[in-house]
Amino acid sequence: MSTVDLLLLLAGLVLSLMVFSYLLGDTLLFGIAMYTLVGMTAGFTFLVLLQKVILPMAIYPLSTFPQTSALLALVPLVLSLLLVWLLFKKSSKLSGIPLGFLGGVVAATLIVGVTRGTLVPQLLNIVNAFDPNKMSSAGLPNWIAIFEAFMMLVGVLAVLFVSHHRKNKVKQDAFSHSWLDGLSGFGQMFIGITFGAIFVGLFSTGLVALIAYIQYLVDFARLW
Amino acid sequence: MKQRTPVITAAISGIVMLAALFFQPFTAPYLGLVLGWAIILSSVALLVAIASLVVTHIRFIVKGRKGFLFSIILVISFLGTVSLGWYLGLEDPAFLKGIQSILIPLENALMALIALVLMSAAVKIFRVRGWSILTISFGLSALVFLFLNLGFVRFDSNPALSQLVSSLQHLPVVGARGLLIGVALGALLMALRVLFGQEALRE
Repeated sequence: MSTVDLLLLLAGLVLSLMVFSYLLGDTLLFGIAMYTLVGMTAGFTFLVLLQKVILPMAIYPLSTFPQTSALLALVPLVLSLLLVWLLFKKSSKLSGIPLGFLGGVVAATLIVGVTRGTLVPQLLNIVNAFDPNKMSSAGLPNWIAIFEAFMMLVGVLAVLFVSHHRKNKVKQDAFSHSWLDGLSGFGQMFIGITFGAIFVGLFSTGLVALIAYIQYLVDFARLW
Repeated sequence: MKQRTPVITAAISGIVMLAALFFQPFTAPYLGLVLGWAIILSSVALLVAIASLVVTHIRFIVKGRKGFLFSIILVISFLGTVSLGWYLGLEDPAFLKGIQSILIPLENALMALIALVLMSAAVKIFRVRGWSILTISFGLSALVFLFLNLGFVRFDSNPALSQLVSSLQHLPVVGARGLLIGVALGALLMALRVLFGQEALRE
């Protein structure tokens, strides 16, 4: 192992040990590690955006001026300059044009993406669970499939109802319907179950990372 | 008055883009061009955000604000990464190895820290939010799925038990689907508000 490699390994080790100083209530060492992470990530992102997106997509096409591709590349360049102007004058009216353009494009893409990619497939999954072929096996009703289909339908409706009911409850606290509270509670139960499962997933990933980190320490100690 | 320009631009560009998305075989070249512009603009917006972050921290250093030591570290690590990457090239193996040997252990350590912090947060949730349907179902679900995911017990030998476990594993999908549909409906509504000029983008 070369000296540079060893130094890099040592730097990584020291910085990662600084992260664990958070458990001892230390903010200085943890802060140093975090600001290093933020600075390096920002620097790397800056380089990637500049060299992989801005230069090849916005600057290099200008070299073919006055061809159509160069003229078309002028549009995002002008909009980009207006956006950069935000750094110098935060209340600039002109900077609103690129932001508005971006907002409009994102909104349109979101409408199509959310409808085709999320809403329709999710709703179809709920409806498809009621497929008669799935609800019976060998001519007899498949009670588990029927139960799961109804549970899915009622559960999803109850989860969607939770936030609506909570908003209305704040508005008219005295006016309460027991069945609405029950439906909201049912939805909260499903949200709790989902968050519990997500928590376990995150916890398991963290645990795996902890084990990998201990292995990393052991490997480092074995160098000597 | 001040917010009229971005709202009108957003509405026009959004409606034109939506029309282009719907009539896709005929509008494919236009769509690619506008999406390319959007990619450039979002990259520039991110660059502006990064530049703003660095400028703010340089200001903190100049003013000698409390905690400016952290700002010095951020600026040095940012400038060091940018200058080294610019000099050596983004795809230089030595540069990439240097970045990886610092960032990967840091990210792994953070992920490992999350496991420990999550454990204390799970206990705190009962103290902060009390005993409710949400917290009880969260706790029970966490215990059950932790037990199932550990894989200590096999249910293959008993078909009924295996079916029960399979049904149990479907339960989080119900909540996730409800939340996903809720978020999607919210995003759809927000996007429609932008298209109809009801949303002030600068805010």
